[in-house]
Amino acid sequence: MRTTIKNGIRFGAIISVVIIFFHLTGFSVVAANMIGGLFGNVDKNTALAQLPTINLAIVISLIGLIAGGSASKNTKTDSWTNAIVSGTVAGAFSGLFVAVFVYLIGIANFLEVDLRSYLPEIGPDNIDYLLFGGKASANFLYLGLLTISGLAGAAFSKGIIRANWRKQVQADSVQSFNAFIQKPGIQKVFNNKIVVYAFLAAAAFLLYFLPTKWGPYWNFIMGTVGIYILLGLGLNIIVGLSGQLVLGYVAFFAIGAYTFGLLTAPEPHAIGMNFWLAIVFAILAAALTGVLLGLPILNLRGDYLAIVTLGFGEIIRILIKSDMLTDFTNGPSGLSDLVQPKWLGKTFNDVNYFHLTVIFVIIAIFIANRLQYSRTGRAWLAISADQTVARATGINTFKYNLLALALGAAFAGLGGALFASRNQFTGPEDHILMVSINVLCLVIVGGMGSLPGVVVGAFVLKGVPELLRDLENYRLLAFGALLVMMMVMRPEGLWPKGRPEMETLYYRKHPKDSPPDGEVQS
Amino acid sequence: MMLEVENLNVYYGAIHALKGISFHLEEGEIVALIGANGAGKSTSLNTISGLLRANPGKIVFEGEDISQTPPQDVVMKGIIQVPEGRKIFARMTVMENLEMGAYTQPDRVKFEENLEAVYFRFPRLKERQKQLGGTLSGGEQQMLAMARGLMGNPRLLLLDEPSMGLAPILVEQIFEIIQSINEQGTSILLVEQNAQMALSIADRGYVLETGKTVLEGSGQELLHNPLVEEAYLGG
Repeated sequence: MRTTIKNGIRFGAIISVVIIFFHLTGFSVVAANMIGGLFGNVDKNTALAQLPTINLAIVISLIGLIAGGSASKNTKTDSWTNAIVSGTVAGAFSGLFVAVFVYLIGIANFLEVDLRSYLPEIGPDNIDYLLFGGKASANFLYLGLLTISGLAGAAFSKGIIRANWRKQVQADSVQSFNAFIQKPGIQKVFNNKIVVYAFLAAAAFLLYFLPTKWGPYWNFIMGTVGIYILLGLGLNIIVGLSGQLVLGYVAFFAIGAYTFGLLTAPEPHAIGMNFWLAIVFAILAAALTGVLLGLPILNLRGDYLAIVTLGFGEIIRILIKSDMLTDFTNGPSGLSDLVQPKWLGKTFNDVNYFHLTVIFVIIAIFIANRLQYSRTGRAWLAISADQTVARATGINTFKYNLLALALGAAFAGLGGALFASRNQFTGPEDHILMVSINVLCLVIVGGMGSLPGVVVGAFVLKGVPELLRDLENYRLLAFGALLVMMMVMRPEGLWPKGRPEMETLYYRKHPKDSPPDGEVQS
Repeated sequence: MMLEVENLNVYYGAIHALKGISFHLEEGEIVALIGANGAGKSTSLNTISGLLRANPGKIVFEGEDISQTPPQDVVMKGIIQVPEGRKIFARMTVMENLEMGAYTQPDRVKFEENLEAVYFRFPRLKERQKQLGGTLSGGEQQMLAMARGLMGNPRLLLLDEPSMGLAPILVEQIFEIIQSINEQGTSILLVEQNAQMALSIADRGYVLETGKTVLEGSGQELLHNPLVEEAYLGG
């Protein structure tokens, strides 16, 4: 029992710190506003004084539920008493701490000490709100709310965890789903070309018509997601397949964007090349850069390769910006008025751009997929598993590493050119280190080496921040927390790479021997 | 002469690891390189297979100097190394490992023949063909490493410490297999710490010490050589 209570106190302390932090940074008020948005009892013009206090109570109770739930989950023994006690103690203790805290800021408010000089979010209005409208009983409210919600959280989480029905339902549903899928009739439907084509047609239909409906803003966001999918697919070849940690990937993006820009912008060269031709040149230039970078450094692996390529990314950006090359690259002011694609005499608008991006993404996915399961992909797999053994089996590791770098760079070149053309501008500040980091993040978040992972990762990294716009200043805070949570819960990535399903020569010839899907023993 | 190594020198940075090693191997032989840790046994193998560069030194395989040939071309010539420490692809299945072994062999008919031969020799691998390499036992992993080597149609197999870390009964089994591979016409260059076992199956052997060849002779001769007995066979 003592350890149970201790456990509760520990969680209570952690949660109280979280609540106090939310109060101090003003996040609680934002959260209360969001709750209001859900309930419809708040609109954009509601002043703080009119914000219903019930919203704050809901926020606090939700945190309390989490506190109780996690505290009860963390008890070692499997008894109901322990779980309930632990959760309640966690709730009560966090309530106690928070009560003391609000008492203190209440006093400060009463004495008219202006805390805003230290903590800009803690003005008198905010304090009033956090005290549930300045009630003296606010302390007890906190204590009560958190204790009850802690108890409820513990009961709820314990109930769910203990219940065998949950596991049973899960197991049953998975089993019946598998059985359902394996039924010959269903298999026939899945294997039926018409069904597949119908599905593809539906997807194509959606991709074709959605952009005309959801407006330029979402076209822009989704276009960015698409470009990041291209970048992710490229980096995935380098990092995920061939296993080389390259941190300066933005360099290839920059080369693509600038090649496109220099060939099409009226300033400084006025070459005025056609969009489609310039795209090809951008891809080639980026691939060539990949080869040139790779030749001297590909004997490096791991950390060393990461550092060298990191430097390379920065060098490219600084060169573009430098005085020395200003006549050639337009320096810090960048290139503007880049050409936009034309088709049948019509210049592309935002919808066309989105469609173009989708087409490029589909082509890129197709290429990446074919590569992954080709002889080349297998060589990469061997190299990333063990370079020495790969060489001993007769794989030309240098050639394949270089190929990975060149192909990955080519994808980035395409992405860069598309990005520059869509914005009709590209400047050195488009090509900062953060781009490399973002692309690497999306590959990791999605699941290293997995193609669907890249797509999911790009949506999460470039799409979700847009969905979090309601959080205003706290957007990146929440996004960061979300990323951390994702990586804790799914360390392999959101859509991890399955075991490489290589349809081996042997199995192709002897289908009877081949392992059924998912039945490779491990 | 199938393989002739002459005055082989190899440096790791400033360290002079091989100081002019010479040995040779006739077609169909088992030749053992024995010696203590750091004598240069594995370095010799890695240099022959092209993972390391000779500087200077001559490696002649069937009349052709291969001392500057990159590893993938060495493999194509029929010299296949089974690296030390059971280096298999742990995340690939047994079958996929074997397919990696045949990476340089485009001939599919030959692939099937080899696969059958390998499964005949290592029935355990056939049982476990769908299992991930990393989940095999130590002995099975060593067998897989050798089987993977055989999939590449070796004319000369370079075995690096096949007995490392295996139970005595498995060591015997592995050496029997080595002998039978040899009987079917593959020449074998064997590097071993277990001098007793290695010399007992070897046609000829060389004793290496700090990067030099200090003794050579037939397997039986070396086995009964007092110096060898004292230094490597425990008196």
